[in-house]
Amino acid sequence: MPKVLRLNQGAEEGVKELLKFLLESGDTRGVLTLTKVDEGGGVAYSLVTDPKVLEDALPLFPLMPVNAGKVLSRITLIEPTDKPIVAVMKPCELRAFAELLKRSQGSLENFLFISSTCGGVYPLKTAISENIGEKLPQYWDAVKKGEILPEVRRNCTACTQFIPYTADMTVALIGNSDIEKQCEIYLNTSKAEEVVTGMTGEVSEQELNTEALETLRSRRKVQKDKLLDEVKDLDMEKVFGKCIGCRACSKVCPACYCHLCFFESPTSEHRALDYERELSKNGGVRVPLDTIFYHLVRLFHVSLSCVGCGQCNDVCPVNIPLGAVALKTAGAVQEAFDYVAGRSIEEELPITIFKPEEFAGVE
Amino acid sequence: MSDNKQGATFPAEGGVREGSLDFIRQALSQGCFDAVLIPAKMPLSDSFAYALIEDESLLKDAYPLCPIMTVQGARVISALTRRGKGKKVLSAWLRPCEVRATVELSKLGQINLENIILISIDCPGVLPLADWAKEPEKTESAFSELVKGIDIEGVRPICQICDKFSATGGEDLHIGTIGMQDSLLLIPNSPKGRSILDNLGLQAAPDISDWQSQVDALTADRKKKREQAHKELESRAKGLDNLLHTFSTCINCHNCMRVCPICYCRQCFFDSDNSKFPFEDYLVRAEAAGGLRLPPETLLFHIGRMLHMSLSCVSCGACEDACPTSIPVAQVFSLVGSKNQKAFDYVPGRSADEPLPLRVYQDREFEEVEQSGARAPAPEET
Repeated sequence: MPKVLRLNQGAEEGVKELLKFLLESGDTRGVLTLTKVDEGGGVAYSLVTDPKVLEDALPLFPLMPVNAGKVLSRITLIEPTDKPIVAVMKPCELRAFAELLKRSQGSLENFLFISSTCGGVYPLKTAISENIGEKLPQYWDAVKKGEILPEVRRNCTACTQFIPYTADMTVALIGNSDIEKQCEIYLNTSKAEEVVTGMTGEVSEQELNTEALETLRSRRKVQKDKLLDEVKDLDMEKVFGKCIGCRACSKVCPACYCHLCFFESPTSEHRALDYERELSKNGGVRVPLDTIFYHLVRLFHVSLSCVGCGQCNDVCPVNIPLGAVALKTAGAVQEAFDYVAGRSIEEELPITIFKPEEFAGVE
Repeated sequence: MSDNKQGATFPAEGGVREGSLDFIRQALSQGCFDAVLIPAKMPLSDSFAYALIEDESLLKDAYPLCPIMTVQGARVISALTRRGKGKKVLSAWLRPCEVRATVELSKLGQINLENIILISIDCPGVLPLADWAKEPEKTESAFSELVKGIDIEGVRPICQICDKFSATGGEDLHIGTIGMQDSLLLIPNSPKGRSILDNLGLQAAPDISDWQSQVDALTADRKKKREQAHKELESRAKGLDNLLHTFSTCINCHNCMRVCPICYCRQCFFDSDNSKFPFEDYLVRAEAAGGLRLPPETLLFHIGRMLHMSLSCVSCGACEDACPTSIPVAQVFSLVGSKNQKAFDYVPGRSADEPLPLRVYQDREFEEVEQSGARAPAPEET
C-alpha cells in the first residue's frame, strides 16, 4: 500500500511547506514552481532557490502560462543538473517532459517531481481578463467534489489522464473534501520517502480515493466524447483556412521540439515561379502557400507525443479549435500503437522501434 | 507631402469596394499588370487572406479594404519575392502601413520590388483580430459601417492613433477615398503609377486640394491623439518596474516577432543556441536573486526586438493582434519607435531611396567620436 504524508494545512500551503522544508533542510538546491511574478496578477514558472521567495509560490495555481515540460527541456537540454532540483508540475506537463526525454530534449537526472491529481487550468484569456484569484474558491470546490468546472480549458474538461504517471509525489486534490485543512501527499518512490524524512506530519499507508477519481473520469469521458463530436466531420479547409500563419501553436507545443520547423526552413521558401505556376493553373492562389498543409503535417508530427494540454488552443489568435483536433488525432494515433504519451519514461516511442517481422508483413 | 501631386478621378457609384474592383478589372484587361495581390474572402471559409488573382471572375471575393489584418501584406510580398522576382507584373493592394513595411523590407533585402506595383488606399483602420475570431459576421458588418465614415471608434487602439493612414510616399499609386463622393481619387507617385493612368487614358489633374485638406486635417488630429496616447503610455510603461509589469503576462511565445513584418531574421537570437544555457547558469542566476523566472529573458526579448526593429517599425499592430495575453505590444513599440525614428530624422517606408540609418556609415561620424573622446573631460558640453 502506498505511503501518504499528511499535513494539517490546506493543500497549497502544505505543498509550499514541503518545498520550504526541502530547500531548507535537504540537499535540494532549487524548486521549479508557479510563482506570482507581478502584483497585477502575473503568474509564471520560476526556479526558486531562496526559501523566502517561496512565499510568492503558487504551486497548485490552475494556470499554465507555458507547458512546464517545455521549460524543463530548455534548461536541461545542454547538460543535466548535478544538484537536486524539485519540480512541481501538472500531470500533462510531466507527460510532456517524459516525451521530450525520449526525444533527447532534456534530462531528468537529479530531479524530483511533485504533481497532483488535476482539476484543470483556466484559459490564458481568463487570466488576463479576470482575476483568477477570486475564482479559486469555486475552482477548489469543484475539485473537492470531483466535478468538472466548465470554465477551465476545453481540453481540461475532456482530460481523462489527470493522475500523474511518473511523479515521485502526488498531491491528492480530486475528491479531497478537506482540501482547505488537509494536505495529502502520496509518496510514490523511495526517493520521495527519503526526502520527507524529518518533516512534521503524519505518514501512513493509504490508497488514493479511487471512487472520486473514477467518477471524475467518467464525467470527463462524457465531455471528451462531446468535444470529439464537435470536430467529427471537420472541414479542414474551412477550419484551418482561418489561420494567419503565426505558428504560435507550434511555438508553445511541448511536442514540437524541432529547432528548425520544416515550414520555416528554406524548403518552404517558395519561389515566385511556384506561385505563378499555381496562378496559371487556378487563376488565383493564396499567399503565402501551405496554410493548411502546415497544420496537417504538424498533426502528423506531434500526434504520437501530444499530451492534450491545450496550449495550442489557448494561444491561437483566431480561435481555431486546435485542442479538440489534436485530441482527436492524437487519440486515434496513440490508440493504434497502444501507446499513451508520457505514461512511462522507459516505454519506447513506437516509431523508433524496428521489429524484423514488420518488414516481413510488408513483403 | 509634395506640392505637385496630381490625381485622376475614377467612378465609384457602388462604393469604394466596387469602384476599386472596377479599376482593377479595367487595369487587368488593359494589361497594366498581370495579376493583383489583394485581400480576399476564402471561398470555403469566413476568413480573409491575401490572394494573388489573375482570373477576373475570382475578383468577386476580393476586398480592397478587409475588416482585419490576417497576415501583414509586407510579409506576403516577401513570401512571393524573397527568392527573386517573378516573371509576371503584380499590383499589390495594400494598406498604407503595409506599403511602408514593404518599403522597409525591400531595403533589408527581403523583397524584390521590380515587378511589383504598390497601390495603397486611404485606411480606416482594422478591427481587432480577436473580435473577428469571436464574431466574424458582427465584425464584418461593423466594418462596412466603418468604411462609410473614416474616423470611428472600434478599430484597434494602434489604428486609432495612426497618423499615416493615407499616401505615405512609398507607394506607386494611391487611392484617395476620404471625402470623395461616388468616386476614387487616383494619385500616381512614381513612373509605374503614372503609366497605369496613361494606359487607362485617365487624365491626372493638379487639383486634389479637397481631398488633401481633409487628409491634412485628420492627420493633424491623429498626430495629437498619438502624442497624447504616447504620453499616457509613457507614464505607465517607462522604467524597469513599469516595463516588467507591462510585460508580466508574456508567455514567451514570440508570436509578436513571428507576425512582425520587420522581424525578418531567419533565426531570432532569442531562439538560437545563444540563448540556451547549461543548467548551472540558470541556477547561478536564480541564486543571485532568490528566484529566476522561466523561461528566462522574457523582458530582454522585447527590449532586444525593440532595439533591432524599432527604426523600421510602422506601427501596423500585427504584434498586438497576435499576442495571446493581450499585452499592448504595438503601443509600446510605436512609442519607442517614434522616438528612435525622430532621433535619426527617419520615417520608415517614406521612400525606398532613403537608406536605413544604421546601414549608413559616414566618415565624419568617426571623427565625431574621436573628437568627443578628446573632449571627454568636459561634460557640460554634452
